Amino acid sequence: MASAEQIAAQIQNKKSLAVSSTWLNNFLSTSGSAQRNIPASAIINTAIFRVLASDFRESLSTTPASLLPVDIHDPNVQERRLVGPIPVQVLDIEDIGTSLWSQVEAIERVERGEAVRGREIVRTVNVGDDNEGENGQSSSNFAGNTSGSRGAGPHRLILQDAAGTKTVGIEMQAIEDLSIEKVPIGGKILLHNATVARGMVLLDPQCVSLLGGKIDALNGPWKENRKAWLLQRVSQVQNE
Amino acid sequence: MARKILCVAEKPAIARAVATHMSGGSFQTHSVRGNQYVKNYEFEFNFGAPWGSCSVTMTSVIGHLTGLDFERQYRGWQSCPPGALFEAPVKEEVDEKKMPIAENIRNQARYSKALFIWTDCDREGEHIGTEVRTQAMSGNARIEVRRAKFSNTERAHVLRAAREPITLDEFQANAVAARIELDLRIGAAFTRLQTLQLQQVAEILKEKVISYGSCQFPTLGFVVDRYLRVQNFKPETFWGIKVMLQREGIKVNFLWRRVHLFDRAAVTMMLERCLSAKQAKVTKVNQKPKSKWRPLPLTTVDLQMMGSRYLRMDSQKVMKVAEALYTKGFISYPRTETDQFDKAIDLKKLVEKQYPDGRWGQYARELLDGKFRTPRSGRHNDQAHPPIHPVSWVNPSQLNSDEKKVYEFVARRFLACCSEDAKGQGTDIEIQYGEEMFHASGLIVLERNYLDVYVYDKWESSQNLPNFEKGERFEPTEANIFEGKTTAPGYLTEPELIGLMDANGIGTDATMAEHIAKIKEREYVVVNERGSGRSKVSELIPTKLGTALVEGYDNVVADLPNSISLSKPFLRKEMELRMLEICAGSKTRQEVVQQSLDMYREVFIHTQRRIAMLKTACRKYLVPE
Repeated sequence: MASAEQIAAQIQNKKSLAVSSTWLNNFLSTSGSAQRNIPASAIINTAIFRVLASDFRESLSTTPASLLPVDIHDPNVQERRLVGPIPVQVLDIEDIGTSLWSQVEAIERVERGEAVRGREIVRTVNVGDDNEGENGQSSSNFAGNTSGSRGAGPHRLILQDAAGTKTVGIEMQAIEDLSIEKVPIGGKILLHNATVARGMVLLDPQCVSLLGGKIDALNGPWKENRKAWLLQRVSQVQNE
Repeated sequence: MARKILCVAEKPAIARAVATHMSGGSFQTHSVRGNQYVKNYEFEFNFGAPWGSCSVTMTSVIGHLTGLDFERQYRGWQSCPPGALFEAPVKEEVDEKKMPIAENIRNQARYSKALFIWTDCDREGEHIGTEVRTQAMSGNARIEVRRAKFSNTERAHVLRAAREPITLDEFQANAVAARIELDLRIGAAFTRLQTLQLQQVAEILKEKVISYGSCQFPTLGFVVDRYLRVQNFKPETFWGIKVMLQREGIKVNFLWRRVHLFDRAAVTMMLERCLSAKQAKVTKVNQKPKSKWRPLPLTTVDLQMMGSRYLRMDSQKVMKVAEALYTKGFISYPRTETDQFDKAIDLKKLVEKQYPDGRWGQYARELLDGKFRTPRSGRHNDQAHPPIHPVSWVNPSQLNSDEKKVYEFVARRFLACCSEDAKGQGTDIEIQYGEEMFHASGLIVLERNYLDVYVYDKWESSQNLPNFEKGERFEPTEANIFEGKTTAPGYLTEPELIGLMDANGIGTDATMAEHIAKIKEREYVVVNERGSGRSKVSELIPTKLGTALVEGYDNVVADLPNSISLSKPFLRKEMELRMLEICAGSKTRQEVVQQSLDMYREVFIHTQRRIAMLKTACRKYLVPE
């Protein structure tokens, strides 16, 4: 039987997250673990799973060092550094290397069942340009129409800390497993020694640890509404 | 009297060409009663053992002799529910117009020891061969049947084919029989259903037959799909960073590795971080040989794509012209999937035949003087025909202008295949500026090689790059943000459509051009010419009816998870794959017909139940408000 302190220490140790005592007590009373003879490791795993599925605003205890500066979005600040570590949760993720419209087209291909193996339709062919050896990447001006460039990135994320402060993060160098398919809404990230420039957190493999998790209540609706939202954005940018 | 052998080709022109070679030019021509095109050519020929010297009658059919149709009581449009056509009895009958041809074969067979079938060596040809056999055997049940295997009408090739006959390929003939039955049943069932139902919807459809074909519809589907993508497209602004350095009097433009992004604030921030780094660092200087590969041996699909791209003819036209060149003995059989030359073919001899040409004769000579290379091998081999190549040289004055163009293309392509790749020197320079990566590349073409004869490919030197050294630092002359907009794809062109049909398994190389012609003829698609002169493009645009049909069929299956719209290629693709299984002997004709009918019957039932959706789509596009 693990004590509250032991659980908190383990969560701190394994995920660098400081859970609040309110959350911890609530966890212990609802998980019913106190009564039964459950191994400590199982309880700790459950606790970690729950904290990653929680809303950080309700589950973490905060110190000034574990929070984003409240004026983080200030575009007048050219550069500053966040030592952290700062736990944040993903509220939105977008691929800014791909046009909104081609993302809509990609979703529609899935809706039509064309993402299933054997049901793909080839939609583009190169007519007569197939014989270049060692060719330099032809940088076509045609970008944004390229089909199936999944998880191309870079990604722009909206991140939120335990106090509810939000910021934009830009994936400056490709981060493995950071993609729309793999990072759900409410997914948890730890920032350490991150640079902030003009109100944007610069994300790279050194300053980002993906902790996993998601918030079902946010992720479901986000996924459902994504196409509608993309379409709405597309019509917005038409008028800009 | 010497033994008599009956030879039957697929077309009169082939019969004549083969007769000319076999007889050495002296033969008697007899007309056939009831058909003005088919002739009987009579001559002597020594077949070698076991036949020896025989008297020969060389004649031909004109394509298929027989047609498949429903029994009479099912032929009327109102005679039965359209769905009944999936099972209604069918029978194969000699076409009325072909009766005299069939009779000629029966008569000739009566006095012949053997029948040599000279139909084209492809699937259709095997099937036509079986039709010829049926007629011959009804005239003479004891006639021996052989098949001549040939892929061009060049003399030596024809003579060898005559002396080394093989047997008909029953599997291939069965695959065609299956295809014919499926096309009839499925085509008739859907055509009747949609015509009867849709005629009521709009005034302009009242008298119209709205035909359905299992290849036509996916072909139409591609045109509509692209059309809608163009129509629905929404342009978006993007931003990128460009870096320029002026060095040694040359402006070197570096391209951003990210190309461009759709977030202005992020790009602005990234540029600022570049600028505050002040200096860029050269991270890579790569000098490497580059080459542009000589083309692969020519297939039908490639000929059609290239033809409509470079020769300004539609694919059907290209095929017609190629067919004429083949019949006259100038090029090999133009229906082939093979993009590898068999080792047994004497390519150098074929190159040599091009010596007399005023335009590429000199080039051919240089090839044999040491520049000859063995052609690249592609991955396709239909085991029936070699890649398309010139079999003899022809003086251009003997050809009409379209034939000249196609012959020139085939000849240049062949010589290009036998040439060395084009060689060049490429330079790639990569720099890091702040955290961002940029690159510039240059190319110097050193040896043009095949490009000299293959005028259809372009590969040109770029601007010269000044010297850079790895690790060096410099301050760029300029670094700016540029802005651009995404552009819609173009409407589908014919070469693209052929490429898409090929990639998605619709039609065979031989029939693609027909399907495209069909959807134009049915007024599902129109051709729109845009631009002028060299930049002229022919775009395929669906008509309102074409769009309505695709939308209607898509709607019919929209919420049925496992059903596939008839506008999509999959059903037909599966059917084509099953044909191949018949050819390989792994499935029987009956199995394939049943399975494919089941597959289409399911869609048919959905369509019937939800016919209102099809009607709604037609009303939407065709009925004025």
